Amino acid sequence: MAKTYDYLFKLLLIGDSGVGKTSILFRFSEDAFNISFISTIGIDFKIRTIDLDGKKVKLQIWDTAGQERFRTITTAYYRGSMGIMLVYDVTNEKSFENIKNWIRNIEENASADVEKMILGNKCDLDAKRQVSKERGEQLAIEYQIKFVETSAKDSLNVEYAFYTLARDIKAKMEKKQEASNPPGNRSGVHQLKDSDRQRKPTSWLSRCSLL
Amino acid sequence: MSEAEITTNTGDSPNDLVENGLNKLVVKCKYCGSKILDKKLGKYILQEKELPLMQQDTRKEGEIQNEKVNQFYHVENMFTFDNIGFTHTVDCYKYLSCADCDAGPVGYYDMNSKHSYVALSRIEHA
Repeated sequence: MAKTYDYLFKLLLIGDSGVGKTSILFRFSEDAFNISFISTIGIDFKIRTIDLDGKKVKLQIWDTAGQERFRTITTAYYRGSMGIMLVYDVTNEKSFENIKNWIRNIEENASADVEKMILGNKCDLDAKRQVSKERGEQLAIEYQIKFVETSAKDSLNVEYAFYTLARDIKAKMEKKQEASNPPGNRSGVHQLKDSDRQRKPTSWLSRCSLL
Repeated sequence: MSEAEITTNTGDSPNDLVENGLNKLVVKCKYCGSKILDKKLGKYILQEKELPLMQQDTRKEGEIQNEKVNQFYHVENMFTFDNIGFTHTVDCYKYLSCADCDAGPVGYYDMNSKHSYVALSRIEHA
């Protein structure tokens, strides 16, 4: 069957427990499906298709909830990931301080050129805020990572964040392709080859875990 | 999910929905209209499977209510989907849900074959 997309990016949501990673992926809130079978089991990952400058991009977005209690995310989780959303809760000082630890964890375990973005989540809860937007911005400047405040509850900036991260990964990939291909010999062939490689299922996904 | 017998049969397909063994129309979420699968990308198959109900009766604690489902669209590569959610694994299956409103299961994913199956009765054709 013909290929139905141009790019496939694996993205991870990382951060302390309770910062709202699952809410970013999963609209738990008070909707009709709150008591559904799906919410009981929980979402592992989602596939979303977006259009970036005329290219069809598939995002595979993984939640790491439940893993973070080990304070680190295992190497297996990072394997093949091209983008990481670092999430903290603006009403939780500790979760903000821990972003530095998560960045260290990423540097130790993930691929060196993984794209990162910092999300200050729950920005709708202004009365309970412990971390100012300026501090978030300062941290982002320090690490040279993009930053945005989000509210998963109000769907504020969540889509924007994913588009931004995906666009940065795409730009990085295209730059790499340009560097590895002599000018004039740049055709869709290389791009196709590259994304075909990504299509291979990763071993940790294919492993069947028995609960 | 119980181990129902899989009998693949492509006969008796509903003509208004299936053409050349594939979904003629776009597959969307029944509840929010989110696009799940583009046309002509799912292979129509008949197989009897038990799927948990989308709305579980919470009065029956610890008991999952299922129903038998017969008609599915078979999707070999998960990245063929436009928008879809995969639950955590239960007995070598992941359940499929709407990526936008989380309604589901709209089908299931088999961890061994890595193929996905979307139940016709759980989605909307558009």
